[in-house]
Amino acid sequence: MKARKEAGRPAKAAAPDFNFRRLPGGRVLLTNDSGASAVVDEAGFRAVAAGRPAGKTAAGLEAKGFVRERMDFEGYAAARASRNTFLNSGPGLHILVTTLRCNHKCLYCQAGAAPAGGNGTDMSRKVARKSVDFALNSTNPGLTIEFQGGEPLLNWATLSDAVVYARRRAKAAGRDLRLALVSNFSLMTEQKARFLLENEVSICTSLDGPADLHDRNRVFAGGDAHALTVRWLKYFSERADRQGPGYRVFKPSALLTVTRASLGRARDIIDEYARLGLGDIFVRPLTPIGYARKLWPEIGYSAADFAKFYRACLDRILELNASGTQLRERHAMIMLQKIAGADPGYLDMRCPCGAAIGQLAYDYNGDLYTCDEGRMVGWEGDKMFRLGSVLKDDYRSVMLAPVSRACAAASNLEAQPRCARCAYKPYCGVCPVCNYESQGSLWGDMAASDRCALSMGMFDALFGLLQKPAKAKILNGWIGQ
Amino acid sequence: MKTEGVSVFFDSEVSSPEAVRLAAAVMGGRMGVEVSKAAGGLSVRVYGPGASAGTFANEALNQQCRIDLARVNSRIASIITTKALLSAAGEKPARRGRK
Repeated sequence: MKARKEAGRPAKAAAPDFNFRRLPGGRVLLTNDSGASAVVDEAGFRAVAAGRPAGKTAAGLEAKGFVRERMDFEGYAAARASRNTFLNSGPGLHILVTTLRCNHKCLYCQAGAAPAGGNGTDMSRKVARKSVDFALNSTNPGLTIEFQGGEPLLNWATLSDAVVYARRRAKAAGRDLRLALVSNFSLMTEQKARFLLENEVSICTSLDGPADLHDRNRVFAGGDAHALTVRWLKYFSERADRQGPGYRVFKPSALLTVTRASLGRARDIIDEYARLGLGDIFVRPLTPIGYARKLWPEIGYSAADFAKFYRACLDRILELNASGTQLRERHAMIMLQKIAGADPGYLDMRCPCGAAIGQLAYDYNGDLYTCDEGRMVGWEGDKMFRLGSVLKDDYRSVMLAPVSRACAAASNLEAQPRCARCAYKPYCGVCPVCNYESQGSLWGDMAASDRCALSMGMFDALFGLLQKPAKAKILNGWIGQ
Repeated sequence: MKTEGVSVFFDSEVSSPEAVRLAAAVMGGRMGVEVSKAAGGLSVRVYGPGASAGTFANEALNQQCRIDLARVNSRIASIITTKALLSAAGEKPARRGRK
């Protein structure tokens, strides 16, 4: 049958491939697989959907690949490839759990901590060295080994040996290696701190806000958790500001874990970070895994509550920035980098997710897991996410293990019904472990997923702010745009 | 001992048997699920603590959407997953259709 044509006009163009979301206020966000985004009004949206954008925005939409008949396919493909370079390499993050023991009893702990005085849950030097050797097999040109726990300083002998061994092996192999430590600082000493600085180990800790809130969330019978955290944050910050001959000193970073008690305290929390001169804050929602899952009725909250809190945090941070205080929110930075076309290397928000192919978790006994969350599920008795052992298995078989393949397939957004048509697809990711824990399958059901709702809330907040020129200028300044 | 539970019918015109059986596999850990053939589709009885016909029907719909999406997107999804896995393992995907 002959195609029908309108008199005097070219045939109606097919709609280009784009996803959309209506933003508060009536404007519509458009995105496509090259990662480009545009915000148009309702009339503009209808014109794009009809394949006929017009007016002064038409050229911009055309350049971004929203006009099918005027596509720069090579540019589109190059942008898509550029934002997905992680598909060309293997795991870059290697999490060594040097002990399961911990001297804190945090309300939300998902790490499956054992008592500080417990036995049989420390990583031996042999296992730590085997883990470092295993990590160096990765096809990723840049590696990060992160020492976690429990509280890793409780097993200082293994931790310090692994640091020296990793530095020596990486140097011999000509590999780019970063070392990181996640600690609550309660066992930090001047001697340990100097060793970490001299070996260029970056430091990360948890800071949940002012003392009352921090100490409520992070219960420490052995002293004042908040005071210790603040003391060592200042110590490492001062060293970073001064730098020194012979080695680089990294600015310490802190993570905020949001519990129900945090929800009305956005301003207090942000001001605490600003007071301590921290450059970044990472506002992280609770993950309902492990201990936090059991305590969810007391410490959990809805996605809508978190979205409101997150927006309040961003508003306060932007207010401080406008008055000259430098403070950035890490989730927003990650999302902004992705919107700008860069790959910030964030494993939770990519397609496929970082499980196994982007990161590995090395348990104290040498067992390998897809990620730290997968390890936690294993600690609770379900070995679903166990990939093998550094003592027995080779790198290739771990990368191609059935669970690696299953996680990669399940977190592929092109195969997720809701995600495939979501405007935030180019910037987002799903977590098979969260799906498994909360919904009973690796694939989950995004329409009913709290994690999806949380991500949507954060993206909505960010894109809402990006519509306001003064705020957009500050936000884009965070990523050098 | 047979508990009563709730039965829900899935018309094969709307929900494929594959989708209903996948939903039964996912939901089986949370509630008792019995799938049986019925005229024009499948009948599912959910029972026991936590049993919810609505939750089961949502999951069946989710699985049906996954199956429908795979008909359209399976090629690009497969390319991405294969590339990610083989790169991580240190191998290069074989190029098809080139001599």
